[in-house]
Order: sequence, then C-alpha cells, then structure tokens
Amino acid sequence: MGLELAPYQAPSGFLLPSIHSWSAFYTYQPNPRTFLTQSQDWTSLLLAYARFRRLWLLALSDADAAAAGLGEGGKGTEWAEALHNPRLRPPRTISRKILLLVIEQLIASDRAIPDPPKQTSSVVLCWRSVPEWAGVLHEWALKTGQTNTILTLFEISNPAVESELSGMPEVLLRRAIAVLARTGKAQVIEGGEGGGVRFFP
Amino acid sequence: MGAAQSGPKITAQDRAVLDLKIQRDKVRQYQKRIEVVLDAEKRVAKESLAAGRKDRALIALRRRKYQEQLLVKTDQQLETLESLVSSVEFSLVQKDVMFGLQQGNSVLKEMHKEMSLEQVERLMEDTAEAVAYQREVDEMLMSSMTVEEEEAVQRELQQLQVEQLGMPAVPETVPVGQLPEVPTTEPEHMVPETGKVQETQPEGRVALEA
Repeated sequence: MGLELAPYQAPSGFLLPSIHSWSAFYTYQPNPRTFLTQSQDWTSLLLAYARFRRLWLLALSDADAAAAGLGEGGKGTEWAEALHNPRLRPPRTISRKILLLVIEQLIASDRAIPDPPKQTSSVVLCWRSVPEWAGVLHEWALKTGQTNTILTLFEISNPAVESELSGMPEVLLRRAIAVLARTGKAQVIEGGEGGGVRFFP
Repeated sequence: MGAAQSGPKITAQDRAVLDLKIQRDKVRQYQKRIEVVLDAEKRVAKESLAAGRKDRALIALRRRKYQEQLLVKTDQQLETLESLVSSVEFSLVQKDVMFGLQQGNSVLKEMHKEMSLEQVERLMEDTAEAVAYQREVDEMLMSSMTVEEEEAVQRELQQLQVEQLGMPAVPETVPVGQLPEVPTTEPEHMVPETGKVQETQPEGRVALEA
C-alpha cells in the first residue's frame, strides 16, 4: 500500500477521515460485521460532508459521476471528493452496491428522505435530523420576527437575507413544519398552489 | 392534517396574504429564470464573437437586451406586489392595535366604575383621620421628651446629614498637619445656624425620625 492511512484535507477544506485512504473501504465487505462498520463509516462521512458543503441531494448516480470526474459545472461533481479517491492506486470509487445499501440505511434511520418518494436512488439528506431542523426553523422565525404572519415555503427556503434555511428542499421543510405543527408552534395553510405556514411564538 | 391543528382560524385575509405572497414568489422565480437566460445569451455572444460570427453575436445581444427589459418590468411588478403585501400586513397589525386599545379602554371603564367618587371621598376621609391620629401620637411623644433629649436627637440628625454630604471623609484622608483650619471653623458656624432653622420647622417631623 503506497499511501499511509492519514486524514486528508480535500481542496474544499473538508478533512477526509483516514479510512477514506483505504482501498477496501470502496468495495463491499461480505462479512456482515465488517460491513456494519463500513456502512456506518460511510453514513457518517456522507452526512458530515453534506453538512460541510451544505449539500442536500444525494443520488446513486453521484458515484458514477464522481468516478467519471465530470468537468466543471457538471452535475454530481460536488460529491466527487467524498465518493471518489484519485490518490489511491488504482483510483477508487464507492461501489454502487455500497452506496445503495448506505442510502437505504440512511432512509431507515430517518437521516434521508426519498425524493421523489418511494424509491431509493435519490434522497434528500438530513444532516440535521428533522426535529433539529424544526428547532432551527422556529428559532429563525422568532429571531426574524416572522411569527403570526403567513409565510410561503418558497420565502423560507429563499429568504432575502441568507439564513441557515437557504436552499432547503421543500420535502425536508415540510417535514420540519409538520413537527412544529404537532406541538402547536406552526399552522399549515393549504393553498391552491404551494401553501403556506404560520409560526407561533 | 387539519384535525390536529390548533391556533387561530384561517381567515379570508390570511388567504389573501398567502395568495399575494405566492404571486410574489412566482415573479421572483421568473426573474431567476430570466437571469439564467441573460447569462446564457452573453456566453453565446462571446463565443460567436470568438468564432468570428458577428451577426450571431449581435442577435444574441439583442435578445439579451429584450430579456433585460422584461427583468425591469418584472421588477416593477414585484415592487407593487411587495408594497401591497406590506400594506396588508401593516393594516392587520393596525387592526390588532385597535383591538388592544378597545380592550384597554373597556378595562379602564370598569376600573372607573369600581372607583366611584363617593368611595374615594370616604377613603380620603379615613386617611385624613389616620393622619390626624398619627400627629397626635407624635405630639404626645414629643412632650414626653426633655430638652436635652431633643437636642441630642437634633445633633444626631446633624451628624447624619454631615455624613451624607461626605464631609467626614475628607479629614480622615487628609494629612493631620492640614486639618486644623477646616474642621474647627466650619462645624461651629454650621451647628447653630442649622440648629435655628431646625427649631423653626414643625417639631412633629423631627420626632418621627427618632
């Protein structure tokens, strides 16, 4: 093995864990116990990376895109640093099999929401859990004085002033609002299109 | 949904605000789309120019100009929508303020009803009686005091006043050599002067302090 197992600072500034420099990390481990650790490492790596770069979507095809090293602006390249390691000899990319299993595991543990629903090849990642997002959302509404007024979902995920919620996918936003609605901190107003929400202090 | 939801009822105004905001969001999205097209046209113009096709670059730039005009128009629309949204929201706030004022007013009226003039007068009479009684007690206490005791009380009051003014703090810190002039002259003048003033004042007040 030519490379030492050490954390590696990716060009984006993200510190990849040492296991990322280990060839076997990229191929499916048939031993169930080994695979358990492997998939756990992958889930935590993916969530941490998504959080670091504020990535919301993860698709099965991102693995291929990362391997193909699509050029600037190509879709899927934002995941390349995490899913692909060009410094290994030969370069390695996460196998589709692992990525599929990892995505399924993320969905099972409520850290990912299938979008569109009922499939497992494209998900919205919850690098904050849905209840955590609900807290952030409520905090934001309080801080910006937007309680008791009607807000559209678009307005929340595309605020005039950049916020933690900027760019948040609607699926995730709706889930977070549902959590708040259950405790009486928000009220959903179904409109003809889009719909809105009202927060309460 | 719906059944488990609490909170105020969704009124027609709420729906109106929501509809307005959705319209506004649509305009915003439309603007985003135009901005993407603007960038694309500029890129096309640059590429065409680089490839030596001036006519194509010109067409692209013309299209870009047209889209820019659209953007300006939508900006105006957006402004109208947003001002409408904020005036609706402001009048909702005004409505709340009105409601608050109304409530405050009715509470105030009720309070006034409870505080009828007769009751107040009776209360004031009671208070006056209590004051008179207190004065009597004061006078009795005063008369039971000898002249020396009264003087002692006055002295104590004097001392307290001097302390409050921060006078003793100075002699404590100043070196002994500089002391004599200040303390000997001032207190002697002050005691009799203020003592006279105190004597002319109603005696009841002083006795209260003791």
